Amino acid sequence: MTDATDLAEQAGDRDPRVGLRAVAALRRLLEQLEAVQVRSARARGWSWQEIAAELGVSRQAVHKKHGRH
Amino acid sequence: MFERFTKGARAVVTGAVAVAGREGAPAVTEEHLLLALLDAEDTGAALALRALGATERRASLEAALAAARRRGGLSAVEVDALADLGIDVARIVARVEETHGPGALAAGSDIRSRSPKRRPFTRESKKVLEQSLRVCLGRREKEIGDEHLLLALTARPGIVSEALADHGVTYTAVEQALDRPRA
Repeated sequence: MTDATDLAEQAGDRDPRVGLRAVAALRRLLEQLEAVQVRSARARGWSWQEIAAELGVSRQAVHKKHGRH
Repeated sequence: MFERFTKGARAVVTGAVAVAGREGAPAVTEEHLLLALLDAEDTGAALALRALGATERRASLEAALAAARRRGGLSAVEVDALADLGIDVARIVARVEETHGPGALAAGSDIRSRSPKRRPFTRESKKVLEQSLRVCLGRREKEIGDEHLLLALTARPGIVSEALADHGVTYTAVEQALDRPRA
């Protein structure tokens, strides 16, 4: 990429792509962090119900996502 | 689509499943496809990868992929996007590893599969297979060879194409290596 296009991109940093890409990346990071924390809680003997309550989702949702592997 | 795959391309697909199996991975990822491509011999992809020096830099490629996995499979592009938001991925990884051990984020949600009989392709790796068909059609070639799988891998965003590009294996470079008359 040339310097000119680099600069143009920076100048146009209201480009929705930049923001959308960041949101998508954040979502991926969030998923990974959630998996780490859920695994850790399970390893400490937490029930799905307890984990779900902390995450603010239903027990079924958290079990479906992380339970059966 | 698979009926259009050459023997070499089929070998890569089954090879990727085998690699995933050896790793105990719950699904077949783009990384597994790449590792299977690096195992190929005397195929279009094998020749291109060798010509581009990737075959002998396999260890370095694998290290780059491991590093990306360690940060939760986020690509450099994604890390940059998060940095723009003021989120320092390296710092998050370090903090998580402090508490949960090295490579904690690499495991992601991929808890080891308890049903190894069923090892599906991930959404992303399926897209690579689909893309190989488009690449093949675009090149006006009749059969989908493993070189089309390689081209498809380089064309999809993510950690595999980034690692490949860092090792000189881009879509254009592969095309050039393929189109170069063979001695």
